[in-house]
Amino acid sequence: MHPLEQLCDDALAQIASAPDEGVLETVRVKFLGRSGSVSEWSDKMKSLPKEEKPAVGKLLNEVRIAITAAIAARGENFRTEKESAAVANVDLSLPGTPHERGALHPLTQMLDRSIAIFRRMGFALAEGPDIETEWHCFDALNTPADHPARNEQDTFYLPDGRLLRTHTSTVQIRTMESAPPPIRVIAPGAAYRRDEIDATHTTQFHQIEGLYVDENVSVADLKGTLEFFLRELFGADTAVRFRPHYFPFTEPSFEIDVKSSALKGGEQWVEVCGCGMVHPAVFEAVNQSRRDNAYDPEKWTGFAFGLGMDRLAMILFDIPDIRLFAQNDLRFLRQFA
Amino acid sequence: MKFSVNWLREFVELSPRIDALAELLTMSGIEIEAIEKHGTDFDHVVVAQITESKPHPNADRLTVCVVDDGSGTKRQIVCGAKNYRVGDKVPLALPGAELTGGLKIGASKLRGVESEGMLCSAKELGVAEDAAGLLILSPEAKIGTPIRELFPPDTILDVEITPNRGDLLSHFGLAREIAALTANKLRDVAAAVTGGRTAADDSGSYNHGVKISALSECPFYSARRIENVRVGPSPDWLRAKIESVGIRSINNVVDVSNFVMLELGQPTHAFDADKLSGEIKVRLAREGEKFLALDGKIYPLTSQNLVIADDERAVGIAGVMGGEESGVTESTKDVLLESAYFSPASIRRTARDLNLPSDASYRFERGVDPQMILPASRRAANLICEVAGAKPPATFGVAGKLPPDPPDVSLSYARLDRLLGIQIEPATADAILTRFGLSKSDSASRPLWKIPSYRRDLQREVDLIEEIIRAHGIEKIPSADRSRFTPLSEADDNFDFETKLRRDLIALGLTEARTSSLIARSEVARANGAIELRNPLSEDHVALRTSLIAGLLGAVARNIRAGAERIALFEIGNTFAPRTGEQQRRLAIALCGQVASAKDWRGAKKRQLDFFDLKGALNALGAFEFRPSKQAGFVLMAEIFYETEQIGYAGQLSVTTSATAPILVAEIDLAHIAQAKEDAERFKEMDRYPEVTRDIAMFVGPKVTHAEILRAIAAANEPLLEKVELFDLFMENDGKKALEMKKSLAYSLTYRDKNRTLTSEEVSAVHARIRERLRNEIGAELRE
Repeated sequence: MHPLEQLCDDALAQIASAPDEGVLETVRVKFLGRSGSVSEWSDKMKSLPKEEKPAVGKLLNEVRIAITAAIAARGENFRTEKESAAVANVDLSLPGTPHERGALHPLTQMLDRSIAIFRRMGFALAEGPDIETEWHCFDALNTPADHPARNEQDTFYLPDGRLLRTHTSTVQIRTMESAPPPIRVIAPGAAYRRDEIDATHTTQFHQIEGLYVDENVSVADLKGTLEFFLRELFGADTAVRFRPHYFPFTEPSFEIDVKSSALKGGEQWVEVCGCGMVHPAVFEAVNQSRRDNAYDPEKWTGFAFGLGMDRLAMILFDIPDIRLFAQNDLRFLRQFA
Repeated sequence: MKFSVNWLREFVELSPRIDALAELLTMSGIEIEAIEKHGTDFDHVVVAQITESKPHPNADRLTVCVVDDGSGTKRQIVCGAKNYRVGDKVPLALPGAELTGGLKIGASKLRGVESEGMLCSAKELGVAEDAAGLLILSPEAKIGTPIRELFPPDTILDVEITPNRGDLLSHFGLAREIAALTANKLRDVAAAVTGGRTAADDSGSYNHGVKISALSECPFYSARRIENVRVGPSPDWLRAKIESVGIRSINNVVDVSNFVMLELGQPTHAFDADKLSGEIKVRLAREGEKFLALDGKIYPLTSQNLVIADDERAVGIAGVMGGEESGVTESTKDVLLESAYFSPASIRRTARDLNLPSDASYRFERGVDPQMILPASRRAANLICEVAGAKPPATFGVAGKLPPDPPDVSLSYARLDRLLGIQIEPATADAILTRFGLSKSDSASRPLWKIPSYRRDLQREVDLIEEIIRAHGIEKIPSADRSRFTPLSEADDNFDFETKLRRDLIALGLTEARTSSLIARSEVARANGAIELRNPLSEDHVALRTSLIAGLLGAVARNIRAGAERIALFEIGNTFAPRTGEQQRRLAIALCGQVASAKDWRGAKKRQLDFFDLKGALNALGAFEFRPSKQAGFVLMAEIFYETEQIGYAGQLSVTTSATAPILVAEIDLAHIAQAKEDAERFKEMDRYPEVTRDIAMFVGPKVTHAEILRAIAAANEPLLEKVELFDLFMENDGKKALEMKKSLAYSLTYRDKNRTLTSEEVSAVHARIRERLRNEIGAELRE
């Protein structure tokens, strides 16, 4: 046996029996250190006869690699043992560190979801004030004084004769007054009704109004738009039906019912939306306040719709009482975090 | 409005499938809100008389009855009810009967005793809700009569009639619509009008004077005098008919008036003719004129209100309500029956101003059919003769002219197709309109349609288009995709900003609240100059909020009551400036309770939320400055500034009784947060050379503030000083008086040069200068 092989065996034996990292380090210095045994052999190489050099050199290299690897492996062993010992008694079933995180109001979530869908369909947002004039809330929407649909009993009035809008349809008028066609907007916002508060009625509620005015807009476009929206919201298998209805500011007018397996009581038609083709009288009223003929009813047609966010949220989240939205009880709000 | 299906069947043939009819109506815009079954339609249920009753041998709660069902053989029935006596007549379900809910009746043994059928409660028959005992029938009921003859089956439809369709507010009107939709034949209304034993017609003498002085409010008025009536209870058929649709029976004359309204849609009114003096005058009320109405209340009138008057006084508010003094009573002998056309706007105004809606005003304000005014009057007169024994001929007076038929409307088939997005054959469109009673004139180049007198809602082309599509079926229209590229609007920007802000606030552990824009009476005084509603409905919502805080505090109080440990709420919403009502978007935050809501097993310190938690949340939104201030109601208060402008405030409320922890609130103008965010969004190069940090610990007097220390350090103007952070603070409190206490503060100062690595020596030199400054400027006692 070559002395180098002997040296290697010694080293491996000492590495194997090293009881801790300290001893292992001593062993490493003893063999691989600057003046260790292996280094000494490197020095000896110089004095060897030329013909022995390649064989011894090769052997020396193998010995160095073997010892280095053994030390690394042994060291790895020590570290692993130490790590395991450190976590030996950790109970992974302990609760995680609590983090305080807030929650969005369910109505906000409902609005966000709805708005996101309409934006993908190319609708821009529009705004209008809560305090409105009779013109924007009624007259311009083809609901003149003494019209049976103009329900003053249900309207909150301010002392100066202005009122709190009873629907977001006011934004239709404001938008058309300020910009010529084409128009493609949605307007989320609050509306107010002078209603006794109960499980399904409240004085302040939230709507998304929609308006699309362009050349050759038809009932087919209205259907396509709202069916797409409702299927995105309630699921692709949602059944949607349009039912003729009456609103003074649209003609023809429809209410939309949906039936969806995603909803509790999925076999029932649930009313979710009022809509229709913009009444020519609304265009005429807008032209009157614009003092031009930008919305020529002979040239432009359009559709409009209104979605009740409180109602949609109640349907979608299975919330039984509309009053919960205004109570702001954290036990309620945090359910939708 | 409620409709009886049996009644509708008098005018139009209906399929027995009521749900199919309901679907048809609903899908053509006449929404059926409820379908109620009335009466019974059971086989094998008959009138029986209890002839014997004895205790059940094996069951205390049962009895054994013997009944006579008219078949000749007596039957033995076991019965659980107690509310009958021997001799009572009751419904008997014979073996083979099937009752409400699919209950099948057979002969069986109950606790060992034969029972050949079942005696029924009202609920088991579905004629009423009463399930407590047997339904005891009238003694006149004939034994053996099938029960369906006593309670004839009917279906009552509760129908939502939209405000444009006054023509549907009668059984005849709805039947006419059904006929048009189903293409079934409509029974001629003339048959209804001239039916009955005694026909009164309009050829009677026109000798009762009627004068109209307000022709625009009342273009036409008719009055028919019917003599020798005997006022009394209505016959069963009349009573049953009006009661089936929810109208209370009063007496035969009033019931006829209501019946005709429900049948033909024209409200009529019966006066006691003997209580009228002189002519009927249709006039506007005098300003301040008082009127005692049928409901026993006195109404002050104005010159806006149309009244029916005699020579002396108003006897009726036209189209709204009759007078107490001129109404038909048991002692009435002669009746004057009014049938008229009143302007919808006038009636609506009056009913609204007096807050006196009635079945009559409901119809007049939607517009009655002028062509039905006289037939309805004839119909009512005939019926009064029939049920109240009056003798024709009646005498008759009219004034004014019937309103003309509505103007013709043109229709372009091209525009019909364009608006609907579908092709409809002109012949199909024409057929639909013709079924709805319209007729086409051939002469015009464009088809011109004559509108029937009862369809005043058909005013322009789109109205005709709607008729066509609702009859044709909207499901036939395909769904189209009309996309369009749309640039971002200002509203989009606002929405996106608020969405991001909401998410930031949630990440800070705040939960979003949404409170009412309307505040309670109790809050109004505090909300200086808040605009009050002219017509609030309740004391909880009377004025427009000028701040979000009141609503948020309401939510805090509710959550304290609910036992929440940690309340951290925010709201983003509109406030309304005092007087002008100008709308502002604001953010408000309210905090109360513990820093952490959940228990932490690693024992994080339990601490109450305080002003600095609020300040920290606001700092996370923008680089705002807090200037100490004072305000009533606040124990701590700071005004929030962005640059030179005050944009809100933050503070701790004075102790309230309901809270067990401090309540912190802040309110801030949203536009300024947006500005602060925009200002902050710029790239800054990352530091390439290392920082050096040195600490300073010091004692200062109790009144020396953090801000003063920062200012003193900043005033040194050391270019290498990058930032100063407070990392420890305590009051040295060894029994000294407040003024003698010392405050210990420890700061970490960070030094850096962005172009090179600093040496320890140069940092030490700068740090020493700053220490010296603190010692001299604010008298800090520096600790080593």
